[in-house]
Amino acid sequence: MSNASETLRADAPVIGPNLNLESMTDRISRIALRERAHAWWWIAFIPSAALTLLLIVAIAYLFYEGIGIWGVNWPVMWGFAILCYVWWIAIASGGTIISALFFLVHAEWRTSINRIAESMMLFGAAAAGIYPVLHLGRPWLFYWLFFYPNTMTLWAQFRSPLLWDFWALFTYVFASVLFWYVGLLPDLASVRDRAERGLKQRMYAVFAMGFRGSSGQWRHLRAVYGVMAAIMTPVVISIHSIVGLDFAGAATTGWHVTQFPPFFVCGALLSGFAIVLLLIIPLRRFLNLEDMVTGRHIGVLAKLLLTSSLLLAYAYLMDAFSACYGGNPGDLALLAARLHGEYAPVYWGAVLFNVLLPQLLWSRKLRVHIPTLMLLSLGVVIGMWMERYLIVVTSLSRPTLVSAWGVFHPTFWDWATLAGTVGLFLSGILLSVRFVPVVAMHEMRALIVSAQARSE
Amino acid sequence: MSPLNSRAHLWRSLEEAGGDPGLLARATQEFPLLAKALADPVSRREVLKLMAACMAWSGLAGCDSKFGDALIPPVRMPVNVVPAQPNFFATAQVLGGYAQGIVVEHVMGRPLKVQGNPHHPASLGSTDAYAQALPLDFYDPDRAAQVCVRGNPSDRAAFEAAFSQERARLKARGGAGLRILTGSITSPSLLDRIQSLLLAYPEAAWVGWEPLSRSNAHSGARQTYGSALDTVAHLDRADVVLAFDADLLSTDPGRLRYARDLAARRNPARAKMSRIYAVESTPTLLGCVADHRFIVEPGEVERILPWLLDSVRSESPTAAPAGTRPSWMAALIEDLKSARGKVFIHAGAQHSAAVHAQVHLMNEALQARNATYTLIEAQNAASPAMPAELMRDMHAGKVTHLLMLDTNPMYTAPRSWDFAAALKSVPFSAALSRHLDETAQQTTWFVPLAHSWECWSDARAYDGTVSILQPQAQPLYDGMSPAQLVDRYLQTQSRSSESIVKDFWRPRLSGDFAQTFDTALAQGLLADTGARPSSVAPRASAAPASDSEKSGNPAAPAALSLVLRADPSLWDGRFANNPWLQELPRPLTKDVWGNPLMISPALAAQHQLGTGDVVRLRVGDASVTSPVIILPGQAPRTITALLGSGRAASGRVGDQVGVNFHPFNALPGTVRFEKTDAHMDIATTVHHGLLGAPSEQILRHQDLSEFLGADQTPSAAASPPAATLYQTHPQGPAQWAMSVDLNACIGCNACVIACQAENNIPVVGKAQVLREREMHWLRIDRYLAGDAAAPESFFQPVLCMHCEQAPCENVCPVGATLHDAEGLNLMVYNRCVGTRFCSNNCPYKVRRFNFYAFAHEQHRPRESWNPEVSVRARGVMEKCTYCVQRIAAARIEADRDSKPVGKVTTACEAACPTQAFTFGNLADPKSAVLARKRSPLDFAMLSEEATKPRTSYETKVRNPNPKLKGVA
Amino acid sequence: MAAIFRPSANLVATSLLLAGWFVLLGLLASWWFWPHTDYAQHLGAAVPQPVPFSHEHHVAGLGIDCRFCHSSVEQSANAGLPATHVCMTCHSQVWTNAALLAPVRESLARDEPLIWRRVADVPDYVYFNHSIHIAKGVGCQSCHGPIAGMALTYKAEPLTMEFCLSCHRNPGPQLRPRSALFDTQWQRGRDTPSPAQLLHDYHVPDRDLTDCSLCHR
Repeated sequence: MSNASETLRADAPVIGPNLNLESMTDRISRIALRERAHAWWWIAFIPSAALTLLLIVAIAYLFYEGIGIWGVNWPVMWGFAILCYVWWIAIASGGTIISALFFLVHAEWRTSINRIAESMMLFGAAAAGIYPVLHLGRPWLFYWLFFYPNTMTLWAQFRSPLLWDFWALFTYVFASVLFWYVGLLPDLASVRDRAERGLKQRMYAVFAMGFRGSSGQWRHLRAVYGVMAAIMTPVVISIHSIVGLDFAGAATTGWHVTQFPPFFVCGALLSGFAIVLLLIIPLRRFLNLEDMVTGRHIGVLAKLLLTSSLLLAYAYLMDAFSACYGGNPGDLALLAARLHGEYAPVYWGAVLFNVLLPQLLWSRKLRVHIPTLMLLSLGVVIGMWMERYLIVVTSLSRPTLVSAWGVFHPTFWDWATLAGTVGLFLSGILLSVRFVPVVAMHEMRALIVSAQARSE
Repeated sequence: MSPLNSRAHLWRSLEEAGGDPGLLARATQEFPLLAKALADPVSRREVLKLMAACMAWSGLAGCDSKFGDALIPPVRMPVNVVPAQPNFFATAQVLGGYAQGIVVEHVMGRPLKVQGNPHHPASLGSTDAYAQALPLDFYDPDRAAQVCVRGNPSDRAAFEAAFSQERARLKARGGAGLRILTGSITSPSLLDRIQSLLLAYPEAAWVGWEPLSRSNAHSGARQTYGSALDTVAHLDRADVVLAFDADLLSTDPGRLRYARDLAARRNPARAKMSRIYAVESTPTLLGCVADHRFIVEPGEVERILPWLLDSVRSESPTAAPAGTRPSWMAALIEDLKSARGKVFIHAGAQHSAAVHAQVHLMNEALQARNATYTLIEAQNAASPAMPAELMRDMHAGKVTHLLMLDTNPMYTAPRSWDFAAALKSVPFSAALSRHLDETAQQTTWFVPLAHSWECWSDARAYDGTVSILQPQAQPLYDGMSPAQLVDRYLQTQSRSSESIVKDFWRPRLSGDFAQTFDTALAQGLLADTGARPSSVAPRASAAPASDSEKSGNPAAPAALSLVLRADPSLWDGRFANNPWLQELPRPLTKDVWGNPLMISPALAAQHQLGTGDVVRLRVGDASVTSPVIILPGQAPRTITALLGSGRAASGRVGDQVGVNFHPFNALPGTVRFEKTDAHMDIATTVHHGLLGAPSEQILRHQDLSEFLGADQTPSAAASPPAATLYQTHPQGPAQWAMSVDLNACIGCNACVIACQAENNIPVVGKAQVLREREMHWLRIDRYLAGDAAAPESFFQPVLCMHCEQAPCENVCPVGATLHDAEGLNLMVYNRCVGTRFCSNNCPYKVRRFNFYAFAHEQHRPRESWNPEVSVRARGVMEKCTYCVQRIAAARIEADRDSKPVGKVTTACEAACPTQAFTFGNLADPKSAVLARKRSPLDFAMLSEEATKPRTSYETKVRNPNPKLKGVA
Repeated sequence: MAAIFRPSANLVATSLLLAGWFVLLGLLASWWFWPHTDYAQHLGAAVPQPVPFSHEHHVAGLGIDCRFCHSSVEQSANAGLPATHVCMTCHSQVWTNAALLAPVRESLARDEPLIWRRVADVPDYVYFNHSIHIAKGVGCQSCHGPIAGMALTYKAEPLTMEFCLSCHRNPGPQLRPRSALFDTQWQRGRDTPSPAQLLHDYHVPDRDLTDCSLCHR
């Protein structure tokens, strides 16, 4: 693309000038329809698939042996399973915010990246969703957290935040799938119409569920999508607040802080935006979407990244403040351990990646400087993981009763499961990039039409 | 009152019950093939199946076997055995020759749980950790099942043949060349057998070898009084106790009784508080509870004693060369003199005869004898020849027949003996022991020793009281008792251990023998067989001259000294194959599975050693490598090694764990010590080194003066609870609660094993302890205060607090942990899905999690589990339940005849020698627990958490000598 | 553009979707209701035993008291199964060479126990106690059904937690007067005291019968 450079300016329009309905739809559909995948796609997909296999092995071994294979111990009874769960949920939530919240507020820039955001939400939720089950000592009994008429006449226990978390997660995963699929229908239809006769076309036809673009169908679709968006927005806030409540609701040192729910949501925003950046920057390059995903999008996302990192900074401050203000010796000891104790590296790592580095984005230039953004986003993803580690592991290793202090050492299987979920996420994204229109074409059309109207 | 008396009707001898000796055999008829199968090691699988069958019978069916849903009634129901109802039979546990009375609980003829015998003077109803671990000892699958000749399987017949042949030859030459090696023995019947053997074979000799011997004490008494004497202390009468390297609470034959008596004077809210001085080189249990602990190098005591002796004898403290005289002596002497007649001075058994002699004289000088203690004829008075002579003869080839009864010299012998070589020179040697152990593998013949629960025997307690040991089950293996084997020299055909014991006592018991004997079995002891206090007087020439010179030259400060101590978990190594004891955190260091050398912080600093660093220890030309552990309160130049580890042939559990230090026993030569670059992980249950001072929130402690100063109003626990926003649980007919007296706790660990035995708690092994996954429901936290060189230490038993506002309950998503109407915080294992949120939310961290299928991986016969308690599966949380199974039993018994529930005793409470635990019903105004909770010392742990724990503690009070403030 | 599917495809698609829903609902329903079925609860099926013992003959026919064989039912958690010796007290006199009884005779001769199969079983983590139920006036039939009339012994009640709780939440109707405890023919009659009365007589209400600790340890 010749105009790559100027599309990267932060004040670039949301769509390139020489983009019209036809060309856009053609290009997007062709990406889905092309005979064989790009080399880069295979290079990315094979390792991801391998990691997914590793995940399957890790899970099989876990079921066979028990969670003793992980590093969890007494007193650190929660380890990677919970912290990775929180981490993934945050990532997924970020995607939902972009595709649902900004849909409701009619943010133009969202249009061309919401499909990617939604896929990210979908596979982030998938990666997160398996953890709570694996985490259980007797995973095969996870359904005891549901209400069903059993011969024991026993119900689940309402007062436990864990229970609400479980349901929130269930709702969230279910809703995300629907939201993603509903938005996908018309595009599947357009791909179907562009595919030449054959199996491929039939497949798209089946998944398009006979969407023919009649005004009635459009009316229904718009209604459903709007409603779904309106549902998803509160759902995503609730899921992550409830995850926060798991901790805030516990009487554990370093956990029982009322700010946790909003604190977690801020984290979700931050990691969500970071991952979106990490995804769209290469994709726009590899799929020649420079004129659909322009510097405008990147700039906006960078600003959002900065904003959410400021929110998080506030949360960190409040966390430290409430420890000092509460004056509970346990909390103070923990804070000390984080500021200048054995956990200092993790703590300051989190601060550096999540708060300090993103401050670079005050500079207009850096906001559209690709390498910087990639590094910053990567840093944020790591930083967020560190923060979760800080919250879950270090709090548990320092209970009020000194005789029960302990240390947590992750094992190979902890890392294997984490890597495996990363593999699952990436393979999911890559598959969707390969076979599903990467940009919501029907929404783009609306955008193009309005843009042309404006230009005339 | 004790739980036993309440069930007295159940508690009598099998004899009495059945009236015919064959009863025991039939008591096991629920699994008649079991004994057979167990006796035959090749068919272990069969055993498991059979055990599963017993499980099915007792309601703990093993679903994975074809007997899973089987009901197996006996062919004949044994008299007095009611399905699933416990029977109790008294016997005794014999350690180092001395007896402690125990009562064994049976279900369907299976011995399952040990309790103390309340009638027995050495027990008074309590036990130590060793006794609690006996069931696993009895069911140990590694016990030898077969007679062996030179290590190859053989059988009894072959042995009998060979034996009688040899016997004929010996008889011919009057027993010349025959030696019998035993441990220390107090068993009257066995002593009688040995004596008559020595009469029948005048040339033969009997040799006694006990690694943890009390012979020094005896010869000390000989020096002073002219005869071997045992000391029987009455610590409840002593206002001041002075102990030099005390073993009063650890290995002394009277340890349980002493602990009880000592504790009776340690809680100022209940009695006038005594004052304890401990002078020692390495921390002992007594030292940890003492009010003053003076750290001296091992040699020091010999130096100090003469001065002490002179000072207590003369009016004015004698001047000693300044500098060499410890700063604390003056005040100590003053205190001793002012408490004249209420003093007890004690020296550990490992001290030299001279030390014991001087201690005797000091006690005499302070008119302590017959006031705070009495002297009795030594129990193993018929003292055998010394091992030294045996070794001389063996090396000289004078020994043709060596009979080793329940002793393991190949493992316990000092290096100087060179026993291995000596043994090779003996043509006919036979070992009688429970395992095919180090010695048994080297002897010509090996005969399995019958477990004390499989044969008849008898033994004396520390005060001379005789107990009859009766078998508790049909023999699992075809073993012999020592008396039986000795008897074979005297009788042509072998007698049962039963007839040996009975034939011995028949002429010696007054009145109707059958009746007296049955009463003795039922009571667990022969009434008033306790030895009378002997009225010897110290000889004029008693003051040992030799030591006063020694006192002149202080031990060179640079020199290191190595002291050997009995392992608080493994004794002298005989318990090495018992996983419960291997995984029992040692009272002071909390380490398990191994015996690192214990060194002082100073020594560690000097050699830049950290816990786990491996050192090479040399004594003379002997050397060994072992990891070290840093023990605050250890004398700077002293290295302590625990005996009992490093077994080579103890069984699958105990082999190759730790290092064997027996060879270093009394080894001459200077002790050297260098660091190697190796490091070994040491599994401890305190996961970040030894604990510093506890906060007021966790463990409260004060001095007696503070206590007397403070107002003695009953604590808040007894007053009606303040209004709360929380929902309160409905009140049932009983309200269970516990009070733990920190003044009583000596950290002896009896409760820990009692809990493990009662509640089917699995062991997890070293690797898992290193990963911080131990399972003990009841742990004893140890805290240290003050400087690391000479810290003040505290023991705090921690079990589930059964909070009225339990944080664990709110967070369980499936309601697997919740309250019942009697204030118990329940854990319903089969409802648990293992989110582990409850543990995160528990401020006391008393919840344990089955990270693996620990219980099912454990190498333990299934029939040894307690059928009244679920065996927890993998992935399930578990914790102390206040022994809910015992509560349930009492509840059912009460409801059956609609009366209020009686006294319930938890396993820890029953075992505790010092009665630190008091469990009971708060709703009963007369309950002991309510009285204790009214104590001004009562406090709740982490009260800031507002969890309203049902378990509370009594503040630790110390009674330091005001004159010693600020003195080291 | 040309149609990809024939018009019938719509019908197929719709029916497939519907079918999917029905399958899902079906699975859900079976997952819910399967445990409640007699088959899952092994109800009414006689278990093969070494000896085809007939309660009908011994109890209804000969009128032998339950406690003659299940001797510890009043003192212990475990009702107790008769020792071979107990069977032989009669069968050394009657039916001395009946082929059916050969296993019993052999058991005595060989001194090897009979191995019966459990009929009324509860999981290992349930600590049921016979004696307290008898003491509180619960008759055998409440859990063992019409045992007196069983030619071959079968499980008559589900013995699920649901079953236990149904009574523990409202014990009254299951209680009998002491005199009628082991009367296998007993029916609640006009002169029977009211459930409330019995509850009071047996002091049942004194404790909360739904505490987990009552059955689980």
